[in-house]
Amino acid sequence: MAKSNSQGAQVSASKPMLGSYFGNHKKALSHTLNEQKKKPLASILTCAVIGIAILLPTLLGVFLSNLERSQLSFDNTTQMTVMLSKTLSPIKGATFAQELTKIEGIESAKFIHQDDALEEFKATFELESTLEHLSDNPLPHSIIVTLSESANTIEQAQKLRTSLLGKPEIDLVQLDLMWVQRLNSITNFLSLSTWILGLMLSIAVILILGNTIRLAIENRKDEIAVLKLVGGTDAFVCRPFLYLGIFYGIGGGIFSIILCSVVLAILAQPIEALTASYQSDFSLSGLNIETTLFILLVGTFLGWCAAKISVKQHISAIEPS
Amino acid sequence: MIQFINVGKRYSDGHEALKNVSFELARGEMAFLTGHSGAGKSTLLKLIMLMERASKGQITVGNQNLARIPPRQVPYYRRHAGVVFQDHKLLFDRTIFDNVAIAMEVAGTPPKEIAKRVRAALDKVGLLSKEKLTPIQLSGGEQQRVGIARAVVNKPPILLADEPTGNLDPELSAEIMKLFSDFNQVGVTVLIATHDLELISRLPYRVIELDHGHIRNEEAFVNG
Ligand SMILES: Nc1ncnc2c1ncn2[C@@H]1O[C@H](COP(=O)(O)OP(=O)(O)OP(=O)(O)O)[C@@H](O)[C@H]1O
Ligand SMILES: [Mg+2]
Repeated sequence: MAKSNSQGAQVSASKPMLGSYFGNHKKALSHTLNEQKKKPLASILTCAVIGIAILLPTLLGVFLSNLERSQLSFDNTTQMTVMLSKTLSPIKGATFAQELTKIEGIESAKFIHQDDALEEFKATFELESTLEHLSDNPLPHSIIVTLSESANTIEQAQKLRTSLLGKPEIDLVQLDLMWVQRLNSITNFLSLSTWILGLMLSIAVILILGNTIRLAIENRKDEIAVLKLVGGTDAFVCRPFLYLGIFYGIGGGIFSIILCSVVLAILAQPIEALTASYQSDFSLSGLNIETTLFILLVGTFLGWCAAKISVKQHISAIEPS
Repeated sequence: MIQFINVGKRYSDGHEALKNVSFELARGEMAFLTGHSGAGKSTLLKLIMLMERASKGQITVGNQNLARIPPRQVPYYRRHAGVVFQDHKLLFDRTIFDNVAIAMEVAGTPPKEIAKRVRAALDKVGLLSKEKLTPIQLSGGEQQRVGIARAVVNKPPILLADEPTGNLDPELSAEIMKLFSDFNQVGVTVLIATHDLELISRLPYRVIELDHGHIRNEEAFVNG
């Protein structure tokens, strides 16, 4: 005990070098993958379970983004029909249309004479003969207002409508937003459902994987004890299990991407038939690159989380004896 | 190198395995730890390996007070003390080479360096030709030597052994003890717990005897 060095000349902590740090990871990773090769069926089944769990929110998400896209294309050209007061003369109506264009959020305003409106009405509905009998034109003068791009949202349109209704020259403002609103609330509902479902299933995935990894740890208890005895840090001992979690996560992600593509391919035809009946050119677009990457990322993250939680609970309990 | 001052160990069930144990083992010394079954030999070695913590007193190893080593530093500490068990504690799904290599892998040693040192250690215990076999394919004595190779591959300043010759016949036991003396010759501090009084009586090393957790007649001290 001649050395006065307080740390002890030979018995002290030494840090590994960076190069071997990566070598370590490589070794842990290849060890994990080799273990999986020994029992392919069990690994595939675990990945399949994870894949199905990720599939459900993914599918909902894909439908959702399709719905949102169709809403966007509607929003691109929002118009309002402003019915003018019966007492307003055509000339005054035309100047009023000019004034409207000065309001913020209005791109253009086109005055339509009541006679023109009637003509168009007749032409559209082929009611010439019936309408011949009317002594008076029941239609008012009107203005077609097109919203500027910046004001092209449902809220903005609604706000503008209220302010227009306050003007004495205006009787009625028609803004056909009902179905857009309905679509909007459906989208919101679906969006919320997707997140809730996603959250629930994420928890389920973490529980399932956590248990799988607990079993893996259980199976290698002796090995862990020996590694700790020869000076393996918790980080070193845990590493293969973290890789195992990530392996299952990515495997599950790949599974769900395959399943999702299959389901979307099956559904594409019926959905086109359905939307065609609504005179919509809506078509189902499948998984894009972003979604695919997102799924893989989510899978990786969930697998890592599950492993992290599991090793935290179980590895420290294993001590050499 | 190893110093115990009034060390007591009480297990959680209340059993006192060690009572007021004091002794010192100098750097480069080799000693045997004997005593009846249940005397506390394994407990004493576990305290040095930090597999258990002392309840009383102070243990110093290489100028480090073990009570001051926090749990997350324990792995780094253990890399400086090799340990051999009667049951070898080998991994049966790995080769002999890998069994020895893990002791260096945990320290993040580069693979090239590991290969060199593992082969040197296996050569020292006479198992270089069997590096590709698994432990099941080896005899008890050979398995024990794998355990020894693993304990010394990091060139630790301290080597501990708990009944390393427990299951071996006298001839093999003598061979194993010869290995330990060889390591001691090159400066390693060695402490071996053993029942085998017959064997150690023929060897010129100090004997520390435990009796119901106490140190007894620490006089048999022949230094060769
Ligand atoms: N984990 C434990 N919990 C409680 N008591 C223990 C524990 N380990 C050992 N003991 C007790 O402590 C005493 C000393 O045990 P230890 O294993 O140190 O003895 P030993 O000298 O190594 O005996 P042997 O020669 O049989 O290996 C024994 O009475 C034993 O029952
Ligand atoms: Mg014992």
